[in-house]
Amino acid sequence: MRYLLLFIVAFQSHAQISDFDHINFSKADLNASICKNEGLDNMPNLVYNLTSNLDTDVERFRAIYMWVCHNIANDYTLYLKNKRKRSKYQNDSVKLKSWNNRFKKDVFRKLLKQNKTICTGYAYIVKELAKLANLECEIVHGYGRTSMTNIDELDPPNHSWNAIKLNEKWYLCDPTWASGIPDPETKIFKFDYNNGYFLSNPQLFIINHFPQEEHWTLMPNESHTFDEFLAAPILYGQAYTYLSTHDYPKLMHQSLHKNEMVQFQYKLQNDIDVESVRFLIDNGYTNKKTTPNSVNIENKSLIIEHQFESNGFYDVHLYIGNDLISTYTFKVKG
Amino acid sequence: MKTQTIKKITLLFGLIMCTALFSNKMHAQSKIATTTAVADQELTVKGKVTDENGPLLGVNVVLKNSKIGVITDENGEFTFPQSLSSGDILVFSYLGYEKQDIKIDAKSTYINLLMSSDLVEIMGAPNSNTPFKSKRSK
Repeated sequence: MRYLLLFIVAFQSHAQISDFDHINFSKADLNASICKNEGLDNMPNLVYNLTSNLDTDVERFRAIYMWVCHNIANDYTLYLKNKRKRSKYQNDSVKLKSWNNRFKKDVFRKLLKQNKTICTGYAYIVKELAKLANLECEIVHGYGRTSMTNIDELDPPNHSWNAIKLNEKWYLCDPTWASGIPDPETKIFKFDYNNGYFLSNPQLFIINHFPQEEHWTLMPNESHTFDEFLAAPILYGQAYTYLSTHDYPKLMHQSLHKNEMVQFQYKLQNDIDVESVRFLIDNGYTNKKTTPNSVNIENKSLIIEHQFESNGFYDVHLYIGNDLISTYTFKVKG
Repeated sequence: MKTQTIKKITLLFGLIMCTALFSNKMHAQSKIATTTAVADQELTVKGKVTDENGPLLGVNVVLKNSKIGVITDENGEFTFPQSLSSGDILVFSYLGYEKQDIKIDAKSTYINLLMSSDLVEIMGAPNSNTPFKSKRSK
């Protein structure tokens, strides 16, 4: 009996989008695009228009999520202002609270008038609209890690996303990152919807989303520490469209000897062309796109092997086609 | 005619109270009897919505699972556009405030509602597609 239980636990897949392979989301997506010009001043009406002709909870949630991702813009100046103040008041809980109260009003005003926000705004709207559709949805606060986060010393919690209960199971999604990316130079937000953040695989999600409350990893049988999260490789948005899991290397920074073989291992969502897998290797002076020593794809398992022929310190970026997937660094000694 | 109906209802209520006192099982049954007795009434529901600072303008008041609704005016007041029955649920929502469901019953057709603002921590990290670059000593 014990072994049977162990077997069940070991092969139990995590709650993710593939649980709904039998559902066609085109009707839900169409509802979201029909409601394009509606605002948040009448949320019940918006929810009614988005969901009333849909049959399942997952479709109803999909319509709400798609509407938010396609209609709410990420406000980069608002983000910077909040970031500055939050770090300033980091050790003064009274001032932090009072700042948060003032800022909150600002955020909701912007949401109502301009459909603009930062990530708590996204997670909040998704939750509120889902609640109006009688769906159980929560905001998850935690740490989001990107190439621009100061990864050596991550500031106080900087990101929020959602957990949604569908058919008695909790799922994860990140409407903020799904909607697009603001250009750090021009500060202009660009809508660029990424479907990979909808009901993502928790095993991939944990690499750049660390929840403040542990149960929101949705992996009750696995332990994940904050230190592991800080030491993990950097994942980019496109990782979520190609990968189902990122297995190896577990660490962003690696040390190895010249000509030592290093292995990278991933699970793919769909098959890809072996030829499309490339590394961009930066040694501090030059950038070079190279083909890894070996690339193997079998049963959607992608295994890459590579050797570095000379000493140095390298930033190694994995690309599939023109899409940036992940980054590692390698210190190579003789 | 009217006094007779009122008398009948009072009698019914009296009966219900008595049976409720003596039997738990009966209580469950009589509850159904009361709702049917008042469900036929058409209720005009009015009300006022405020927060800790005073009246709230623009609160959505909607009959649950429908499109029928109204928005509060500058005094926080509303008159629901359609008559309601006892047991109907009105959903009060406003961005930044906690959503509230209010069940209508014949005794209280004027709703005084205090809405409290949602406790949200505001944080935000946008994603980035800029490739990571190691800091190197020159």
